[in-house]
Amino acid sequence: MDSILGLSLIIFTPTIGALLIALLVNSKAIEALRVGTVVITAITFVFTLMLWSNFDANETGIQPVVDGVNGVSAEWIGSWNIHYRLGYDGISLPLVVLTSFISMLAAMASWSINKLHKGYFILFLLLETGMLGVFLALDFFLFYVFWEVMLLPMYFLIGVWGGPRREYAAIKFFLYTLAGSVLMLIAMLMFYFGGGNEFNILRLTQIGQGNVPGLQFDEFTQITAFILLFIGFAIKVPCFPFHTWLPDAHVEAPTPISMILAGVLLKMGGYGILRIAFPICPVGAQYAAYTLVAIGVISIIYGGFAALAQTDFKRMVAYSSVSHMGYVILGMGVWKITAENGIMVTSGRDYWLMGMSGAMFQMIAHGVSSAGMFFMVGVIYDRVHHRDLNQFGGLFGLMPLYSGLAAGIFFAGLGLPGLCGFIGEVLVVLSTWNFSPVLAIVAASGVIITAGYILWTLQRVYLGAEYKGPHAEEITPMNAREATIAITLLVMAVVLGVYPNLMFDVMNGSMAEVVDGMDAGLRAAQQSGVAITAVPAP
Amino acid sequence: MESLGSELSNYLLLAWLLPLFGFCIEVLGGRWGRNRQDKRAAYLAIACIGASFLLSSFTFFRWGTENHWQVFAASDDSGHHSVALLAADGHEENHGEHKHEKDDSHGKHTDSGNHDAVHGGEHGDSSHDVAAHHGPGPSYSGTFYTLATFGALNLSIDYYIDSLTILMFCMVTLIATCIHIFAVGYMSDELTDEYVDHNAHTSDGHHVHRPGRFHRFFSFLSLFCFSMLGIVLAGNIFQVFVFWELVGISSFLLIGFYTERKSANVAANKAFIVNRVGDFGFIIGLMILWTYCGTFSFGDTEIGGQEQPGLFSMIRGADGEIVTSSDGDEVILKTSGHDGHWSAPENGQPNKTLPYFLLVIAGMGVFGGCIGKSAQFPLQTWLPDAMEGPTPVSALVHSATMVAAGVYLAARFYPVFTTEVLLTIAYVGCITAFVAATIAVVATDIKRVLAYSTMSQLGYMMLAIGLGGWAAGLFHLVTHAFFKSLMFLCSGSVIHGCHHEQEMPKMGGLRHKMPITAYTMLVGVIAISGLAIPGTSIAFSGFHSKDAIVATALAYTKLNPVHFLLFLTPLVTAGITAFYMFRLWFYTFTGKPRDQHVYDHCHESPAVMFAPLLVLSLFAAGCALGGENGPLYQMIGHSEPLGVAAGVEHSGVANIALPSHHAIHEVHSTAGVVALLAAALGTLTAFFLYCRPVVNPEMIKRQFSGVHGFLVEKWQFDNLYDAAFVRPAHIVGRWCAGFDKNILDGILHTAARTAVWIGTVDRKFDEKIVDGLVNVVGNVTRSVGMSLTVFQTGKMRQYVMFIAVSVVALFALLFAFMPKA
Amino acid sequence: MDAIGLNYVLAIGAVLFVCGVICMTTKRNGIGVLMGVELVLNGANLNFVAFARYSSMGLDGHVISLFVIVLAAAEAAVALAIALNFYNNHLTIDVDRGDELRG
Repeated sequence: MDSILGLSLIIFTPTIGALLIALLVNSKAIEALRVGTVVITAITFVFTLMLWSNFDANETGIQPVVDGVNGVSAEWIGSWNIHYRLGYDGISLPLVVLTSFISMLAAMASWSINKLHKGYFILFLLLETGMLGVFLALDFFLFYVFWEVMLLPMYFLIGVWGGPRREYAAIKFFLYTLAGSVLMLIAMLMFYFGGGNEFNILRLTQIGQGNVPGLQFDEFTQITAFILLFIGFAIKVPCFPFHTWLPDAHVEAPTPISMILAGVLLKMGGYGILRIAFPICPVGAQYAAYTLVAIGVISIIYGGFAALAQTDFKRMVAYSSVSHMGYVILGMGVWKITAENGIMVTSGRDYWLMGMSGAMFQMIAHGVSSAGMFFMVGVIYDRVHHRDLNQFGGLFGLMPLYSGLAAGIFFAGLGLPGLCGFIGEVLVVLSTWNFSPVLAIVAASGVIITAGYILWTLQRVYLGAEYKGPHAEEITPMNAREATIAITLLVMAVVLGVYPNLMFDVMNGSMAEVVDGMDAGLRAAQQSGVAITAVPAP
Repeated sequence: MESLGSELSNYLLLAWLLPLFGFCIEVLGGRWGRNRQDKRAAYLAIACIGASFLLSSFTFFRWGTENHWQVFAASDDSGHHSVALLAADGHEENHGEHKHEKDDSHGKHTDSGNHDAVHGGEHGDSSHDVAAHHGPGPSYSGTFYTLATFGALNLSIDYYIDSLTILMFCMVTLIATCIHIFAVGYMSDELTDEYVDHNAHTSDGHHVHRPGRFHRFFSFLSLFCFSMLGIVLAGNIFQVFVFWELVGISSFLLIGFYTERKSANVAANKAFIVNRVGDFGFIIGLMILWTYCGTFSFGDTEIGGQEQPGLFSMIRGADGEIVTSSDGDEVILKTSGHDGHWSAPENGQPNKTLPYFLLVIAGMGVFGGCIGKSAQFPLQTWLPDAMEGPTPVSALVHSATMVAAGVYLAARFYPVFTTEVLLTIAYVGCITAFVAATIAVVATDIKRVLAYSTMSQLGYMMLAIGLGGWAAGLFHLVTHAFFKSLMFLCSGSVIHGCHHEQEMPKMGGLRHKMPITAYTMLVGVIAISGLAIPGTSIAFSGFHSKDAIVATALAYTKLNPVHFLLFLTPLVTAGITAFYMFRLWFYTFTGKPRDQHVYDHCHESPAVMFAPLLVLSLFAAGCALGGENGPLYQMIGHSEPLGVAAGVEHSGVANIALPSHHAIHEVHSTAGVVALLAAALGTLTAFFLYCRPVVNPEMIKRQFSGVHGFLVEKWQFDNLYDAAFVRPAHIVGRWCAGFDKNILDGILHTAARTAVWIGTVDRKFDEKIVDGLVNVVGNVTRSVGMSLTVFQTGKMRQYVMFIAVSVVALFALLFAFMPKA
Repeated sequence: MDAIGLNYVLAIGAVLFVCGVICMTTKRNGIGVLMGVELVLNGANLNFVAFARYSSMGLDGHVISLFVIVLAAAEAAVALAIALNFYNNHLTIDVDRGDELRG
């Protein structure tokens, strides 16, 4: 897997699969389409697992390392210095595996699709290619291309196979994301022309961190580019106030697409910040650190309160995603600096590292738990065809296995110890006090709201004497396929919650490299005359 | 010594994990096939928790043997020494051996998986006065499993074993075993495919019919036991938090066991969410300690072969004193030293400090967690509602163990608490004790009376800890666990016997029908009331522990006369306690049957249910044998944190002094007499109101209907919280959702509409102006062409004509205008 | 020979040319029109030959008039074929009946 061919194989296996399906399978052979897609996604998953087994935890930079060079590349558009450059490290690898894992489960959950099956599965596979490409690309241009590639299938998947207001939701999603892309494009061009015609993310990182003699992004570039990139990625995360596309997209998207949307797509925002915005613009990141943390905290609280007020089951889960992804932004932002020997340096590096790792872990954990939650909503929706929280109840008696698994997955979202949500949240929150006590206290109060809306939802849906809504006769226990998906997700939630080192072993080295590199970048910027002032953080 | 530490830790690890094993099997195994009559799930759970109990007992035995049972070799206190002194003296020689062994084996333990660090008993230097010798016994700490490491920061699953840990293990597993066995009988209704829940109704008014859930009950119980033991064994405060949440969720599952009942669901949610409010404070405490101390460990640890002080050592060091900077604003953490002797770095050396007010906030925060878990004022409202759970759950989770975990943590974390925090703890405990007792007086549901009594007694424990009566508080914790679980099981037996009737006004005279239940209950009632034969120390357990608390309160009030309420309130409460407990007993078991139907169908419970009652009544009566000279108190005292025995001089913002053991002992006999008087008064009142009525209680109720209503409404706390927090939270939620819908999406839609409008204008411009111009050009060309078609007649002869005429014309022009040469 | 100068010859050419043009414009019969064309051509030929005879241009005029004769022969063949087809289509060779090319 450690060659350009191997990495390309991972990215393009779904595309090849999509071509095969397009050419070989009759559009009436629905069962073949379903099984074929599951098989293709499973093969991709196996490939990513092989990548995982190849991973060298001692190498903190980008892998594979070929002849001392990090990453593999081939020239693509030479006159613009654009390369087809791929690679992975402890930050992208878990996300790559998460992508293929969630895609596989989402493919298994696609049985509920009831029209235009062939088109659906082809777009589904193309979407997977786009997602994998984003996580593996190391050339900013290539990254951008994959970013856009992923957008189109998503648009159609929501717009064609979605619920009643699908067109509205799809266009909203598309325009929001496109607006973010445009900002990203501006930042990309700023880097290109400011950094000696370069799209290579690794090289740009070195320039941004002052490791390239004679070439450095000035303060203005760093801050402006960071703000542009951050808004672009924040839309994807999404965090307050750029989140309103999410509830609509989720509510209208079919279940498997919701799983992918929550499980993978939202992580691209966080990944983009970690991979591009932070390392290339340490000055900008420090400049905006307090804002980041504040946005994270607001998202946590705001999302929680909004979730409390929802009556649509899926909308509730969507807002819980806003709340949970707030921890990601919060954990990344807790970069405290203090003056030491006349320059500002990182203070409490371990706490920041913990916050960053917590944020990263939270992305994985949320990928598992929110995909699970959306799936659970989908299971009941497939039966009773409504999502009104006030018209459920008593499912525990009618669908015991489903209710038990759902309770487990919702508890993972609630941040119960022993399940995946806890680790990410608690690491992030614990690391926050070092940065800002006030925001830390506000963030900690999120535990109450989270418990409130999740338990209230559980009560309204699963507990109670009887089912109160329509189609009561359609409620049947989970079938084997659904149970497999739910159990797999719950097992993952437990494994991550009990043995978080599964992730930390992989990501620690790379995460430390990001943290230390940014600290070095900040020092270098100050040596070249940029004046850094610590934001007074109450 | 390491060998003992790791040996004990291995036993306790096993004892801890067995219930988890049981839980996993029960959850995965479901109900063992199709048969709902199968009791195997219960047997497995009992086997697991029973084995845990045996292992805990064995650990206790091993621990005692290694210490040559010195801990129990208490003599009568001679002179002014506290009773535990001899134990400490005896321990001192012992300690020499420990250190010796430690030195011997220092090399070989460093790379073992379980790092043992032995500390405590640092009283080798004889410069301290005698009281300071009353240091803690040895404690063993180490790591089972590392969760995550970030640079120097380390999150792990540790153990911290001292006599308190072992005692709690034995207590929890013993009571849990009894309750598991009891539950086999109590929950036997569930062994059916068609369980009729009389308390849950469908919309058409029928009772809910559902399959029994016998196996599920036991799986939840096992999960709870695992979580509870996790708290007890925890070696760091983070781990406590982890299991804190897990007991919370087990409690949630167990309270909401009857999922069909709305009241049960609401109560379960309320319990969890109110607990989360406490945990909010807990997290703040964690954040502060984590940020400033960089560790969560109670005991000293080893990271990378280097010894690191734990929280207790950092804050209290070897002498039990908090060291502050000269202006008193900063606490200097004791990070310099080795082998468990930690002290503040010398002047000039780099030191870590922690602002004093943050230490106070951290203490308050962690205590906030305790408030939630132990149902203390102001988070007490969830506990009475939690009685919706099956009675064995109330006995195990909501009286004996989980709610006591708050007290346990407060005690465990005592070294971190400053005097300000302790004062808060004392007042919180005091208020809770009084408020809950007053509500218990008017409650009529038998379980609710016990629930309020639990809150009240937990208040006592908190009070004791806040007053510096560390051992007294824990003493009461253990005795209370026994007699309260006993009483709950008795009430369970009554409820089971009366076919799920819980209202006392419908009972009466039941002692004839269920004598074993009645008299074991009486043991519990006497124990909690603190009755004794005057002039002797012959009494049930509750007397001794309550006596110790009242004595502490008296000594405290002597030192701090301003806080006299901290003595008076518990004293009054002791009287109220005796009153309402005897009221309960008289109401239920004596007099004439008030509801003949209930009475007629009532029966004594089967042996599987009353056997645990007998065992527990034995412990309720006798566990505190010997009072403060008895083994139980001695064993607790063995774990007492440094500096408690000596008391504290007036200090801190609150200017509080804590009494020394010596001071407490001086007032002990006075306190005992007063407490006994109060209890006797309460008992007599109850006797004359409910057993041999002199005054009709109904009349009193009418006379004080305002007060009665206020108490029945639980001091209006539920309504207050509903109005102050729950509804506002929903309103804010709606605001947020509305903000999204109207403002954020509004902005978006406005932007979109603007874009569409601009597009329309643009289209108009294109159609009218740009296209117009182009069309004009085209039209002109076209019309000119059309007009020229007149000439193209298709007639050949005309064309020739045109040509000829044109040529002639051209020539004419040529000749006319050609310049003449 | 001298009496007959260039001007006489040109005058005859002009007469021939005008006769041809008048013939083309007045005759409705296709063949008549063709004859008019021949007259026009021959008028032009006469001019070429005359200029070749009375000026110093050598044989150029002769050669061109030979070309014109050849072309006239070819043209007559094509034109007669057209006339034949025209007759097949319209059963007449009246050129006024063929106005399909009008605009």
